[in-house]
Amino acid sequence: MTLELLLLILVIGTAIAFDFTNGFHDTGNAMATSIATGALKPKTAVGLSAVLNLVGAFLSVEVALTVTNAVVRLQSSSGAPNPELLANNGHELLMIVFCGLIGGILWNLLTWLLGLPSSSSHALFGGLIGSTAAALGFSGVNWMGDGTKLDGVVGKVILPAFASPVVAALVATIGTWLVYKITTGVAERYAEGGFRWGQIGTASLVSLAHGTNDAQKTMGVITLALIAYGVQTDTTTVPLWVKFACAFAIAAGTYTGGWRIIRTLGKGLVEISAPQGMAAEASSAAVILTSSHLGFALSTTHVATGSILGSGLGKRGADVRWGVAMRMVLAWFITLPAAGLVGAVCFWLGNGIGGYAGVLIVFGALVALTFWMIAHSRKTAVHAGNVNDEWQPDATPGASVASDETIGAKA
Amino acid sequence: MFQLFGSAIGQVVAVSIVIGAGLPALFAFGVRALAQGAGGSAEVSGEAGKPMMKIVAWITFAVVLAVIAIGLAIIISSGFGYKVSFEHIFPTFIKK
Repeated sequence: MTLELLLLILVIGTAIAFDFTNGFHDTGNAMATSIATGALKPKTAVGLSAVLNLVGAFLSVEVALTVTNAVVRLQSSSGAPNPELLANNGHELLMIVFCGLIGGILWNLLTWLLGLPSSSSHALFGGLIGSTAAALGFSGVNWMGDGTKLDGVVGKVILPAFASPVVAALVATIGTWLVYKITTGVAERYAEGGFRWGQIGTASLVSLAHGTNDAQKTMGVITLALIAYGVQTDTTTVPLWVKFACAFAIAAGTYTGGWRIIRTLGKGLVEISAPQGMAAEASSAAVILTSSHLGFALSTTHVATGSILGSGLGKRGADVRWGVAMRMVLAWFITLPAAGLVGAVCFWLGNGIGGYAGVLIVFGALVALTFWMIAHSRKTAVHAGNVNDEWQPDATPGASVASDETIGAKA
Repeated sequence: MFQLFGSAIGQVVAVSIVIGAGLPALFAFGVRALAQGAGGSAEVSGEAGKPMMKIVAWITFAVVLAVIAIGLAIIISSGFGYKVSFEHIFPTFIKK
């Protein structure tokens, strides 16, 4: 096996693994509120979300081949990789993509371990920015585009990251306030029952939108690797097997359920009721769909978190745990640089050692750290059985479950 | 860049408030109408039910469903290279 074939196989494998983490990291964005209010049983919620993500991934036939162009300069606007990166069956391009994906996966796993909803797209972009900067210098990064449209790290990542939670929070605050105003006089239990249905409907919409947006990114990355290696020349379509692999990976990830993140979003931020849940999901769905319809993608995670926060602000007497919110915002700030740093270090390491050894050492580090984090998460496991337990602010961050309940618990 | 972003986010805010806050509000109106229709323990006041309000409630829910269906149509059609146009008021699919 040539070194480049090994790299190609590893890129495809890590891309699918990234897609899986993307799924379980984001289950909570759509389903946390429905799980917290009891509108859906935890397992039913993740199952429903998984199916809708699967369907969503197939609905997006729009070509995502130029996905990396948002932040780095590896491809032309037609999708063809830059010729100077293609020597030796695309060795350099494969290496950049491989290290970028590792940065994305490791940041996704670390934030999951800490129970922090952070954006998977930012993690992927951060990783790619880091590995590209390490390989080509800072000029390889697309910071601002050419200024004529919203482009580059600033236009497509940083500005939306600041604006989207605020917009979503505003919409959800108004929605929640209206809902409580309008249903004054309706018995609380009666209203709860009705709003649970509304909540399931709007949460489903968020899941579907997620599938159409996020699975595409990985499809684009894998196809780029195939073109770089030389086994694919068509820059307008994604091979069918890539589409299948990514769709099933994101759905399987979603079904696994990032319970730690679901718990933070559903129980940690705000104690949520069904009317608030519906207002939050309606806000998320509206913001995500409007922005992607207008041609600029917002992070589902930032929008969903903002919405849930807003649903706490809009209800009189509801408590928002600002400490939890601040931890999240901090995580968002460091997502891009942290994933970038991992991507860059991987590239320096892999390229510096060089050859088979370099590639295998970097891959080995990914596997080792992944298993370490999974093993660590089992110490305070969060699962379908305890995801809705009383929030314990003083317990292990990232789980916040009472410690005596976790003894003997299965992840 | 900042101007471009400002105008794009402004549109998102405007449309999202109308749909994202309006839809739950409409749904809430339906829930209230349903509660008035049922009466008794469904309402804080415990008044007797007004059956006509049930019809109002279901019409409201139908409108909410229709808006969601349009939302779905927008997601699905854009995936296939179409967009939904409201030029003729009634939504129609046109090729992008």
